Amino acid sequence: MTRLLELRDLSFGYDKGSPPVFERLSLDVAMGEFLIIKGPSGSGKSTLLRLICRLNTPRSGAILFRGRNTAEIPPPELRSKVTYVPQIPQMIDGTIRDNLLLSFAFAQGAQKKAPDDATLERMLDAFYLQGVTLAQSASKLSVGQKQRLSIMRAILNEPDALLLDEPTSALDAESAAMVFSIIERLNTDEGKTVLMVTHSDYQPDVPQARSCTFRNGNLECA
Amino acid sequence: MNQIIEISIPQLLLALLFIVVAQATSFVHKLGLNRDISIGTVRTVSQLFVMGYALTFIFGAQNVWLTLGIFVVMVFSAVFIVRGRVREKQIAYEIPTFLTMLSSYFLTALFVSWLVIGVEPWWEPRYFIPTAGMVIGNSMSALAISIERMFSQMRQQRELVEMKLCLGANYKEASRDIFKGAVKAGMIPSINAMMGVGLVFIPGMMSGQILAGADPLTAIRYQIVVMFMLVGSTAMSTIIVTHIIRRRCFGESEELVVSAE
Repeated sequence: MTRLLELRDLSFGYDKGSPPVFERLSLDVAMGEFLIIKGPSGSGKSTLLRLICRLNTPRSGAILFRGRNTAEIPPPELRSKVTYVPQIPQMIDGTIRDNLLLSFAFAQGAQKKAPDDATLERMLDAFYLQGVTLAQSASKLSVGQKQRLSIMRAILNEPDALLLDEPTSALDAESAAMVFSIIERLNTDEGKTVLMVTHSDYQPDVPQARSCTFRNGNLECA
Repeated sequence: MNQIIEISIPQLLLALLFIVVAQATSFVHKLGLNRDISIGTVRTVSQLFVMGYALTFIFGAQNVWLTLGIFVVMVFSAVFIVRGRVREKQIAYEIPTFLTMLSSYFLTALFVSWLVIGVEPWWEPRYFIPTAGMVIGNSMSALAISIERMFSQMRQQRELVEMKLCLGANYKEASRDIFKGAVKAGMIPSINAMMGVGLVFIPGMMSGQILAGADPLTAIRYQIVVMFMLVGSTAMSTIIVTHIIRRRCFGESEELVVSAE
């Protein structure tokens, strides 16, 4: 199985003097895998995702993406391929279309062809956003709708892997079920690699699923 | 018209009546400002007398290094004042601010005294020091506003900036709106001043020249140069400083390093 991400002896702590959040952590993620990361608050689950896309810098160790050290990949290129979706969805002021096409306005996404409205509308349906129009303001959506929109926006950037940080923590059961179903489909139908941090007991209904748990600074994988 | 009337010491003391009015107001209405008014009065008199003697000495000495030395001290003091207003602890911005102020204000003062006014030599202290003083005084406030805005917005919009980074934005794209907002906030006061000048207020420099016996038509020409100079120097220094500070808000991997509020 091809490795998409390789974490090698990764150590991280917030400040120079502070105790490490974790030390010498290693993990391989295969292409197309659906990895659930669990553990108590403050154990380093979100940090792990942030380290992979270099929103935080490790104290020591290396992360390889398709065999390349991520420290040597230009950050915009890396983050377009390994896209982190934060816990609380963030929208820019503007319409839903403005938000969905945000990455195409950046130099990194400028070569890509932006999808037309018909494609976007089909996708809105697939993301359980029926009744939402492209021209309406994004600020009026519910948190659950914003979360689905932010995952859709990340997918439009065509990443290889999605790093999802507790995507359902602020959602009710019904909204959470929609988000889980979307993520499972992205994994099974489109082959997206998924790394998902969650507090819940959710078990994805996909063949490539694996679960890892933080215990006392170590990551134990089933 | 060109005869300046000297103010004698008794006449100067007469002006203290204004301070007596202010003290009385504070006393009667229990404003608690008496101590500050007293300190302010003493400081105004002593600081300006020191400055007066210093300028008399500098104008008499006619030394390029002395003139430039005073200029450096003025910029250095301005950075301290900016530092007092910004109160940023995490990101170091003082050295780039000092160097930017030093170079951009030097160029502005040089341009105005040498090319616009055409004074010989270009460092003639009677022209160079007041010109530099006006540039420093105005741009310093603009810089403080811009720097403050930059840091506060980076903190407030942390999540939004990171979201853009995650979608493939480089650090400039992710912080473009914050950058624009910070530069604009610094520039607006000097642009507004251009709108109101001559209608709402007579600028201090022009009033000073007229009181000193200058022809109002000469005074307005100087004032026009000064207004343009302030807009230009404010734009130049705020853009450079904001640019440098923005880079410092991000780390090597273009990750946001400004900590949350």
